[in-house]
Amino acid sequence: MTFARSGAALAALTTALTAVQPAFAQADGVTLGVLVPLTGELGEFGKIVADAVQLGVDEVNAAGGTKCGPLRTVVADTGGSAEQAIREANKMIDSEGAVAILGPASGEMVALVDLAKRKKTVMMSPYAGTITLNEIGGDYVYRTVSSDLGDGAASGMWLSEKGYKSVAFLIQNEESTISPAQVAREAVTAAGIELTDMIIYNPGQPSYQAELISVLSHNPDAIYLAGGQESGVTVLKEAAAGGYEGEWLLTADLAVPEIFDAVDPRILNGRAYVELAEADSSLPEFKAFAELAQEKTGAAPGPFAANSYDMAMLSAISLEAAEACTGEAINAVLRDVTEGGEKVTTFAGAKAALAEGKDIDYEGASGPLTLDESGTPAGAYMIKKAEDGAWADEKFLPASAFE
Amino acid sequence: MTLFLQFVLTGLVTGCFLILATIGFSFTRRVEGFLNIAHAELLGVSAFATWGCNKLLGWHILPSAAVGIVVTAFAGLAIGRIVYDPIRRLGPSVMLITSVGVAYAIGGTIDALIGTGIRTLDIPLATSIRFWGLRITDYQLIVVVLAILCSASLALFLNRTKTGLAIRAMSANPELAASRGIDVKKTSRATWLISSGLAGVAGVMLGVIATLSTDIAFHQILQILAVAILAGLGSLYAVIVSGLIVGVAMDVSVFWIPAGYRPLVAFAVVILVLLFRPQGIAGSASGK
Repeated sequence: MTFARSGAALAALTTALTAVQPAFAQADGVTLGVLVPLTGELGEFGKIVADAVQLGVDEVNAAGGTKCGPLRTVVADTGGSAEQAIREANKMIDSEGAVAILGPASGEMVALVDLAKRKKTVMMSPYAGTITLNEIGGDYVYRTVSSDLGDGAASGMWLSEKGYKSVAFLIQNEESTISPAQVAREAVTAAGIELTDMIIYNPGQPSYQAELISVLSHNPDAIYLAGGQESGVTVLKEAAAGGYEGEWLLTADLAVPEIFDAVDPRILNGRAYVELAEADSSLPEFKAFAELAQEKTGAAPGPFAANSYDMAMLSAISLEAAEACTGEAINAVLRDVTEGGEKVTTFAGAKAALAEGKDIDYEGASGPLTLDESGTPAGAYMIKKAEDGAWADEKFLPASAFE
Repeated sequence: MTLFLQFVLTGLVTGCFLILATIGFSFTRRVEGFLNIAHAELLGVSAFATWGCNKLLGWHILPSAAVGIVVTAFAGLAIGRIVYDPIRRLGPSVMLITSVGVAYAIGGTIDALIGTGIRTLDIPLATSIRFWGLRITDYQLIVVVLAILCSASLALFLNRTKTGLAIRAMSANPELAASRGIDVKKTSRATWLISSGLAGVAGVMLGVIATLSTDIAFHQILQILAVAILAGLGSLYAVIVSGLIVGVAMDVSVFWIPAGYRPLVAFAVVILVLLFRPQGIAGSASGK
């Protein structure tokens, strides 16, 4: 009898709490978790992401907030660790009531897939290109950047078009670097370019001289270096000390300005290129975002800033379109707001169109964001060239170039 | 053939770095009687102290390196006295587990103080010296010279000085050494200063050769353990042979098998040698 009464009381309490949830959300707003690497090797990227998400949240709130109330963010550091990411994500969901978690990198995103589905909370990344998400993404798991395979295709296209006779590949031993390198290798060999070496190395070594011996002995026209900042900088310096005078194609981790502090710019200037997923800077949506970033932060947007801003926008627009203020409701409409309707480019525009009962198609600062079944957009890429100690745009490769 | 010899030469340099990184670790094991996992993080303390003086204060690399080594030596001494001395009576297992905690504490402190991203010293790009078709950089040569100097100095210190002989007596039998009038505390302090100072030297070279991130120092612990185990835990002279074997095996293996297997090769060599000599290279001399 007592047990039955307790059970009934518990059921009543649960019902009451469930019933008041939307009102609570309306009054206090909605929480977005920002879960990024603020320490460790990718710390520079984490700060860019957190700042760009905040920029988006501020824009949404300035436009009157969502129908669930204003957005607020809670920020936590993954430290580049999947375990820490899961711990912090649990905290964000259980203690802070986050309905979406934005910003994890590839390894952390893959680790968070199970949690996202179990807790019915949307996870979104602006730079997790891992091909694992091609298989398991799409339900509660989304990204505003294309798959790593696209990076590989862009790198392969660049290496093939550049007219090199011979190329060597140096690849950090991680899934996120090996997969695109394999795609790039296919393009290079199909173009008849001699692949002198394909060396997969472990990061965290004091020196990479052993890995460079064979590469330097073949003296290739270019070296494709898919590595992190720590290993990449050492490889660049040791190759230069070993007398290498050819060109480089680097990958996105090395696309930060700090590289020119770490490596003598003379090694890079005029002969190093970097490939990274990037918004089409000629699009009016990107220009508007760049102006906003310049106005609010006093600096041009950094790598993946536009993709990060779009995460905040997609979350807010999905909340506006959803039937409830929950992760489950966001998940139900997130892909719908990115395709097949009236084109909108701002939260205010989306809010107005939705209020009129229209179907919408959000096109963001990072470009058209039509998400496929794996929750991934088609990508556009930029090749930048090292000039005068900075990365300068060399060639834009739009998504249409890979069709 | 020249290509193969280049791998051997690079392996010898790698081995010399491993000797620098391991000799202090083995010294602690021999005298204090436990595996100090935090030793690798002391390389980070030295590397970042050197970086701070060199890059932030704009000092020349030599005084910066001196500060790095001294800071690390005294940091190690402080940790030894504050953390390890009070728990010595609990045995080597407790001290080993504690040293893992110390490693995390040092790593966390470095993380908090240094922040994100990578760091490099303000030193000229390495210059290659070429001979017989082979090449070695000036910084690699410094690693070789320092490995020889540190090993020889430590050997001379242990065999020719009063404190060195006291350390050897204490490592062989602490109770007997104490009963014969050896100042155990003073000897222990000297041990911590020397082993941490050696970590400091390795840390400076880590900063000179590598690109510093806050976790690169701890990445070296597995190879340090491989060299120390192969040497026969406790033996110092065997560390030299062991370091060279592991270094050459790892780098020469790249001649035949993918570079991603280098760490595997290090431990394969350790397992292979221990199958035939379970006591390690040092054999019965270990720990004496």
